[in-house]
Amino acid sequence: MKIAAVEPAALPAAGRRARAHVGIEVWMPLVLLTGALGYPFFLLITSAFNVGDPQALPAVEYGFTNFVDLTSHLDWIYNTLLIATGGTILGITIGIGLAWTIHRTTVPGRNWFELLVAIPYPLGPLVGALAWSQLGAPRDGLINRAFMWATGGNSPLFDIYTPLGIIFVEAIFEAPVAVLIIGAAMQRMDPSLEESSSIFGGGKWRTAIKITLPLMLPAILSAALFMFTSIIGSFAIPTILGTSARFYVATNAIYVLFQGYPPNYPLAAALGLVLIVITGVAVWLVQRVLRGRSYVVVTGRAYRPRQVDMRGWTWPLFALASLYVVISLVLPLGALLLASVQTSSDLAFDPSTWTLANYKYVIVDFPTTRQAIINSLILGVGTGTLGVACATLIAIAVHRSKSSGRKLLEQVTMLPQAFPRLIFAFGFLWMILTLPIQLYGTLLAVLLAYIVVFLPLAYRGMSGVVVQIDSALEEAARVGGASWSRVLRTVTVPLLRSGILATWALLFMVSVREISASLFLSDAHTPVLGPAIFSFWDSGGLPRVSALAMVQALIILIALYAVRRWAGREIKV
Amino acid sequence: MVGSTAQEKTAPAAGPSAAGATQYIEVRGLTAAYDDKVVVKDISFSVASGEHLSLLGPSGCGKSTTLRCIAGLETPIAGEIVIDGVPVFSSRKGINVPTEKRKLSMVFQSYAIWPHMTVFENVAYALRVQRVREAEIKARVAEVLRMVGMEDYMMRPATNLSGGQQQRVALARSYAARPKAMLLDEPLSNLDARLRVRMREEIKELQHRFNLSTIYVTHDQEEAMAISDRIIIMREGNIEQAGKPLDIYDTPRTRFVADFIGAANILVGSVEKAGASGAPVMKIGEAAIECAPGSQPQKPASDGRHMIAVRTVYPELRREPFAGGANVWKATVRRRVLLGDIVSYLVEWPGGELRIQSFPRDLFDEGEAVHLHIAPAHVIPIAAD
Repeated sequence: MKIAAVEPAALPAAGRRARAHVGIEVWMPLVLLTGALGYPFFLLITSAFNVGDPQALPAVEYGFTNFVDLTSHLDWIYNTLLIATGGTILGITIGIGLAWTIHRTTVPGRNWFELLVAIPYPLGPLVGALAWSQLGAPRDGLINRAFMWATGGNSPLFDIYTPLGIIFVEAIFEAPVAVLIIGAAMQRMDPSLEESSSIFGGGKWRTAIKITLPLMLPAILSAALFMFTSIIGSFAIPTILGTSARFYVATNAIYVLFQGYPPNYPLAAALGLVLIVITGVAVWLVQRVLRGRSYVVVTGRAYRPRQVDMRGWTWPLFALASLYVVISLVLPLGALLLASVQTSSDLAFDPSTWTLANYKYVIVDFPTTRQAIINSLILGVGTGTLGVACATLIAIAVHRSKSSGRKLLEQVTMLPQAFPRLIFAFGFLWMILTLPIQLYGTLLAVLLAYIVVFLPLAYRGMSGVVVQIDSALEEAARVGGASWSRVLRTVTVPLLRSGILATWALLFMVSVREISASLFLSDAHTPVLGPAIFSFWDSGGLPRVSALAMVQALIILIALYAVRRWAGREIKV
Repeated sequence: MVGSTAQEKTAPAAGPSAAGATQYIEVRGLTAAYDDKVVVKDISFSVASGEHLSLLGPSGCGKSTTLRCIAGLETPIAGEIVIDGVPVFSSRKGINVPTEKRKLSMVFQSYAIWPHMTVFENVAYALRVQRVREAEIKARVAEVLRMVGMEDYMMRPATNLSGGQQQRVALARSYAARPKAMLLDEPLSNLDARLRVRMREEIKELQHRFNLSTIYVTHDQEEAMAISDRIIIMREGNIEQAGKPLDIYDTPRTRFVADFIGAANILVGSVEKAGASGAPVMKIGEAAIECAPGSQPQKPASDGRHMIAVRTVYPELRREPFAGGANVWKATVRRRVLLGDIVSYLVEWPGGELRIQSFPRDLFDEGEAVHLHIAPAHVIPIAAD
C-alpha cells in the first residue's frame, strides 16, 4: 500500500530527469575518448604553429613559418594526393568489379572468390610492398626476369618503383574493403527495384545506370572515402617502393623529418595537420554528396540479389577475378616464400639450396625479432579483447541507452577513422611524453594507441550486430527480474557471440600487421612486428626480412582460418 | 538471343487470332522450378481481355512464381505463354522475350519505388523508356497521379512516403505506362487492415476505369473474392479449382478449397443411398443428409469415408418446426459467441456439432432447443485431400 502511494509521485520526476540526463554509460567513454583524441590533436596543432624551440612541448612561440616552409615541399602533398586519388580510383574499380562478379553473376567459384579476395587486406600493405618489390623491381624483380628471359631482351615489363607502381600495390591491397562494403550494399538492395525497371521497359544498361549505380553510390562513396583516407596515411607501400626513386609522400616525409638530425617536429606537425585537413575535406565532401541519400541502409534485411547470367562475359570475368587472386595473394606469398628460404639475396631456384635457417633466425636466434613476434601477439590479443569490450559497451550505450549524447558518442568513436593513423600516433607520442606517468617505451602505450585507432573498426562491427538484435529479447529478461549486468551477461553477450568473435579476429589481424601507428611508439626495448620488418628491410637482408614477413602473414592466415572454423560461414574478413 | 520483333513477325497467326479477342493472356503447360524443386507443375489457364483474375493460395503454392514467369522475371522450364497473340515464352520453339520487351506493368509486394528519384521521375520512368515527348510525359504523369490522389507529392523525393502512398505511386507508375496487362504481386500485404480494404476498393475502381487484363496474386481470400472476376486457387504448384468467386464459395470441389475460402463445416460420413431427387444421401453420425441435386460423392479419404461441406452461413435455425422436407432436425444451441456484426453458434444436432453464423437478431440462448434446416443445395460433396 505504501509503495503504491510513493510510486505515482516518483514516476513523473524520474521521467523528467531521464530526458535531460546524460548517463554514465555515455559520458564516461565520451570524456575518455575526447581526451585521448583531443589532447594529441591539441599538441599537434601547437607544434605545427611552433616557431620557437622545436623541442618545446607545448610550444612557447607561435607563427606560420612552418606552413610557409611547407610551400617548398609541395611535392610531398602533391604526391600524397596523386597516389591517394589514383589508388582510390583503381581500388574502387577493382572493388566494384569483384563485388559484382561475386554477388551478382553466375560466374563459377563465386564462394571461393568471396573468401579469397578478402585475404589481401588483413595480410596488409607491408607484406604487399615487400613482395611486390621482389616481383616488380625493374632488373631483379621475378616478373621482369621472367619477362626478359621469355622475350630475350633486357628491357623490363614494368617498374614497380614508380608512382604508378605504388598506386597499383595500394589499390590491390585496399580493394578488399571496397568489395566488402559494396558487396554488403548489393545484398541489402531489394531486387524488385531492378526488376521493376525491366518491367517498365528498361534494358540491362538502362537498369544498371539509372537504378543500380545510383543505389550503390552511397556504398561506393563511403568505400572510396575509407580507401582515400587509408592511402593518405599509408606508410609502408610508398616508403618501400618509393624511397629508391626519392619519391616522397607526406607520411614518409614526416618519418624522415622525425628521424632526421636534428628532428624537425614542427614541420612534421604542420604536414600532419595538412593531411588531417585534406581527409577532413574529403569526409565533408562525401557527406555533402550523400546527404539525403542514406536509402541504401534503410532496411537491414538481406536479400538474395538477382544473379545475372553474363553469358559470353562469364569466363573473362572469371579470369579477371582469378587474376586478382594471383596478383594480390598467390604471387606475393609465393615471392616472399621463395625469398625466405634463400641463403643470400640472389634468388636461387634450386630447391636443394633452400633452407629454413632464416625462419630459425627470426623466430629463435635474433632477440629483437623474437621479442617483436611475442609483443605483436600480445598486442593482437590485447587490442582484440579490450577493443571489442570497449566497442561493445559503446555500441550498447549508443543503441540501447536512452541517455542524451548518444549520437555524439557515436560520432566521436568514429572520428579516428578520419585521422591518418601515422599522424595520430605522432600526436599520441607527444601526449605520452607530456604525461606524468612513464608510458613511453612500454607496450601499454602501443596498446592504447591501437585501441583508439581501431575503435571505429571495432565499433562498426559491434554496432552492426547490436542493432540487429531485437531489444525485446533483453526487455524480456528485464521483465523476468534480471539486473542490467545479468541481462548483459546472460542475454546480450551470448547473442553477440559470433559478432564478437569476428570483430575480435579482425582487430587481432590489423594489430599484428600494423605499422603506421606503432612506428613512432615502439622502440628498441619494445619491438613490434610491423616496425621490426620495416627496419629489417633497411638493414637485415632480403631472405631474413622475407622470413619475418612470412611469419606475420602466417599468424594472420592462421587467425583467419580459426575464425572461419569457429564462427562459421557468416563471418567475413 | 532472339529479339521480340523477330518473333512478332514469325509468330504463327493460328490460335491466338481466333481466341485472341477474348483470351488475352494464355498460359499452357507452365512448369517452373527453383534449383531442383518444381514449384509450378504443368498448369494452364487464360485471362480474357479486361478480365481481373486472381491467383490465390497459401505461401509456397507457386502463385508468385507463375506471375513472375509471365513477367519474364523467372524462366520456366517448360510451357508456353502468349500475351495479346504474341508468344513471349515457348520452351518448344525456344522463345523467351526479355521482361523489358513484354510491355507489361507490375506492382510489387515491396512496391519497388526507386528511392533515389522523385515521385514524378518514378512514374515517368516507363514513359521515358518509350521516348514519349516531354510535354506529354508531364501531362500523363500529372493525370495518373491525380487519379490516385498523389498530385501534391509529385516533386517530392520518393523516400519517406508512407506505405499507402508508396502503393499509390506504384499503381500510378503501372497505369502511366499504358501496359498490355497489369500484374500485381501481393500488393496489399504490407498495409494495415483498414488501409488494405480502402486500397482494395481503389484498385477495383482503377481497374474498371482502365479496363486492363489483370493478374492479381494474393494469399488473402477476402481480397480475392472482393476484387476478382475469376479466381484460380493454387496448391503445391497445381491448380486446385478455378471459377467465379461465388461459384467457388458455393461449390468448393475439395476440402482444401472449402477450408481456404470462407468458413465451412466439413462433415465426414458414409454414402447411404440415392435420395428421392437422385442426389446422394450421406450418413453423418445419426443424421442422414441429402446432398445438392445433381452432385456426386467425391474422392473419399484414405479410411474410405466421404466428406461434405456446409457453409456456416447456410443452415437455418428456428424456434418453431420447419414445414417438413429434407434435411430437417431437432438441435440444441451449445454455445453462442457475439462477434459484433455477426453471431456464431455451436449447435448440437444428430450429426454431431455444427458451426452456424447468422445475424444478431432473435438471438437463441445457450442450451435452447431449436429446429435446424440445411437446404440440400448447400450440402456439397467434396474430395478429401
